[in-house]
Amino acid sequence: MAKAELKSETKTEIEDSSSLKGTLVSVFFVGFFIVVLWVGVYFLYLDRF
Amino acid sequence: MHMHKFEKIWLIFGVTALLVFLSVLGVSAFYLGNQPPSCLAVVDPTKVDEHETFKEPGLKKVEGKDWDYELVFVAQAFAYTPGTVEVPLGAKVKVIATSKDVIHGFGVAGTNINMMVEPGYISEIVTTFDKVGEYLVLCNEYCGSGHHLMTSMIKVVE
Repeated sequence: MAKAELKSETKTEIEDSSSLKGTLVSVFFVGFFIVVLWVGVYFLYLDRF
Repeated sequence: MHMHKFEKIWLIFGVTALLVFLSVLGVSAFYLGNQPPSCLAVVDPTKVDEHETFKEPGLKKVEGKDWDYELVFVAQAFAYTPGTVEVPLGAKVKVIATSKDVIHGFGVAGTNINMMVEPGYISEIVTTFDKVGEYLVLCNEYCGSGHHLMTSMIKVVE
């Protein structure tokens, strides 16, 4: 009886800890922010004399 | 070496962005010929007043060059000569500046004109004044106690 309980406790789901989906999203968020800023500044430069 | 698919995607994005930015820099420098405002042109800072270009600061019409006017500024603590200048709308102008004493800045607010003015060197920038208005010239290199009073005005008029 005690043995069966121990077996069920060790079967924890751990698949989410290795997922890099959130990392990808946050890293692209920063990346696109930099690109958008760069393009904005570039067009400001083109607009001015 | 094992690499996660997402890491590969991000690395490709990052390296591509780097290549794009470096290409823009390369095209600007080597194809469009952009260069730093102070590029190997020198002047004796003690003889600025006798120099052919700087003895008469202000706007001058020139012939046979890629630009129509030359706008000459002499910077010294804590003023620019001339203090105000009028430029006709649409004029292609080469702004030429030098300093008699210390390092000054030459920034025209709201435009792309922004250069350091160093004693001994001639700073130049070519631009077309295509918007009417009054443009404040500011010193943006700290040059001493009167630094914040050091201004000039470029008026673009029709």
